[in-house]
Amino acid sequence: MSKVIQIFSSRRTWAWPYILFMLLFVVLPLILVGVYAFTDIDGHFTLHNFAKFFSHSEAIQTFLYSVMIAVFNTAICLLIGYPAAYIMAQEDFKTPKVMAMLFILPMWINFLLRTVATVELFNMLGLPLGEGALLFGLCYDYLPFMIYPIYNTLQKMDNSLVEAAQDLGASRWQSFWKVIVPLSMPGVYSGVVMVFMPTVSTFAIAELLTHNNIKLFGSLIQDYITTTDLLNYGAVLSLVLLIIIALTSFFGDNNNDGEKGGMI
Amino acid sequence: MRRLFEISKYRYIGISIAMLCSVIAFAQSNLTYELKVGATGDVQVLTDFPESYAGEKVNIRIQTATLKVESQKTAAFKDLDFVFVNEGPVEGFDSIYSYVDEADVRWVVWRNGKAIKNRAQRVLVGNAYNTFEAYLHEQLDQKKNHGWIWWVFAGLLLVGTAIYGGYIFYSRRKERDLSPVEQETLRRQRMGLRRHYGSQLYLWLLLMVLYAPIALIAVFSFTKSKVLGNWTGFSMDLYANLFTGQADAGLNSAIWYTVVIALVAATCATILGTLAAIGIYNMRARSRKVVSLLNSVPMINPDIITGISLFLLFVALGMSQGLGTVCIAHVVFCTPYVVLSVLPRLSRMNPNTYEAALDLGATPGQALRMVMLPELWPGMLSGFILALTLSVDDFGVTFFTKGSGGLETLSTFIYSDARKGGLTPELRPLFTIILLVMLTVLIYINIRNSKQEEK
Repeated sequence: MSKVIQIFSSRRTWAWPYILFMLLFVVLPLILVGVYAFTDIDGHFTLHNFAKFFSHSEAIQTFLYSVMIAVFNTAICLLIGYPAAYIMAQEDFKTPKVMAMLFILPMWINFLLRTVATVELFNMLGLPLGEGALLFGLCYDYLPFMIYPIYNTLQKMDNSLVEAAQDLGASRWQSFWKVIVPLSMPGVYSGVVMVFMPTVSTFAIAELLTHNNIKLFGSLIQDYITTTDLLNYGAVLSLVLLIIIALTSFFGDNNNDGEKGGMI
Repeated sequence: MRRLFEISKYRYIGISIAMLCSVIAFAQSNLTYELKVGATGDVQVLTDFPESYAGEKVNIRIQTATLKVESQKTAAFKDLDFVFVNEGPVEGFDSIYSYVDEADVRWVVWRNGKAIKNRAQRVLVGNAYNTFEAYLHEQLDQKKNHGWIWWVFAGLLLVGTAIYGGYIFYSRRKERDLSPVEQETLRRQRMGLRRHYGSQLYLWLLLMVLYAPIALIAVFSFTKSKVLGNWTGFSMDLYANLFTGQADAGLNSAIWYTVVIALVAATCATILGTLAAIGIYNMRARSRKVVSLLNSVPMINPDIITGISLFLLFVALGMSQGLGTVCIAHVVFCTPYVVLSVLPRLSRMNPNTYEAALDLGATPGQALRMVMLPELWPGMLSGFILALTLSVDDFGVTFFTKGSGGLETLSTFIYSDARKGGLTPELRPLFTIILLVMLTVLIYINIRNSKQEEK
């Protein structure tokens, strides 16, 4: 009995329920994706699903197309978001907090509803739905994820470094490229990761923004995984996506020091 | 004249909004009207519809879908504006009929003993082009009547900007009486401000684009029309419907499920996460690193991966999916954020107070309740609120774990609604209210924070 009390009062053990929970509902499911990918519908080991993927040109094309869209979207978000973050982080900018709040606020509205509203806006303006609308909608949904981390790093940056550069004769342009940009790289990396990962795995948004004309990899996975006999093939597609995600987050992890989760 | 344009930064905002309105007005005057028309087998769809109507150019794009069984694409049947149906039996279909349901015309295809229900604006039997044309004209009239509203809006804004500008211009004239030195200091101050106008303009333009769709929702929450973007006069009916429960039954149950799931998941996540944070904080560095890594996995994983992996787990365990599985799934992706918001509180706390309480004879439970909780509760509260918002906003994970028992949260309800082609109108007031509440809360937090900083 005293031993039980001892275990209980050692606060280290308080994390055990959580660890157990996470093992059961995070680690085990991820392993299961792999297990399902390597088995057939009766549970026997097979590589057939992978062979199917590599000979399934629609899946491969969709995959490459999704990655391309995600790269484009990330680039657009960076091009639009960096200047915005830079302006907000200027020392003499009077209301940075209000501005940052205004950029985050749209995210509290359900993203599907915002997407539907975007579709209606395009209809009202007489613009066609399609690739352009898709890129606009994705950029619209994920831009705050790009602005916020960059703004955070720029704001924390030691301004005396810029002043030093200028004192030593660097022009404004030089001090921007040689001092500010390299120092803001951690923010840029985490922004890129935070935009790229959800874009590459997105589903639903693409369907709504293109009237089902453009299919992204996420929707393809959704189609297969919800069809009972094709579940194992769906698991292969998920595994491919999982690998991309793992690679991206590895890239992000090597280059940033934990800007994530600082969103709110 | 040059000075008139250098009046104030508000002129940029006024003029740019006015320009946007003119663009909208222009787009409206040259509108494209897109129709999705379906027809069974051998009924011909009229595609060469006249391009001009009542003197204004109207582009009518007609997407046609011929309903054939061989195509296997049920998607082609969905969201049609018009359906032309043969009078006699149609090859490949058991039967086709239409009925009116809550002001929407639905039509049903029976195929191989299975009914496929669809929504369409009108179902016409045979080549009833007269009805088709009449309906089209009616629609175009409705659309076009609203083009001028935007011109008026643009005009009003320009006039407002001009009046404001004139006022500033007039007040500047008074400054001529000041001494040259005072005038010079004022001019310098203005120059300093002016340098930032360009960047301010950029931010405001960006915000305008970000808020345009949301503004659309908010504006159209005050009209009764079923379709977003069709103004049928000011009305508070949608708000009334929402609060008196006269909205769509599916929407009401979706709201309730969303609230229940969010509360359950956030409560569980807060308890589990707080205990875990205390545990992690007291671990040795190495195991702490491992658990922190484990903790970050659900945060890094995109929705679809979390959703699919949990879906596979529930399938493998043979669990029937529904409310329970959705709650578990939400706890999974909410708890890491609770852990992260409690941990900083722990490191700020004096680690010896808990031990001291134990030494003074408190039981671990008492020490937790009377020493730890008062210190930790701000972190727990922000974790709880974060969990609530994450849960309410989630779509991907819910979509894969909700099963097929008809459980819908707001997100999945919007999704299936949007795929059917329309949006339940009461969603507009609902989200307008949510936006206003969020805005108030954020402004309050902001004011409170800045006051604390002043102290």
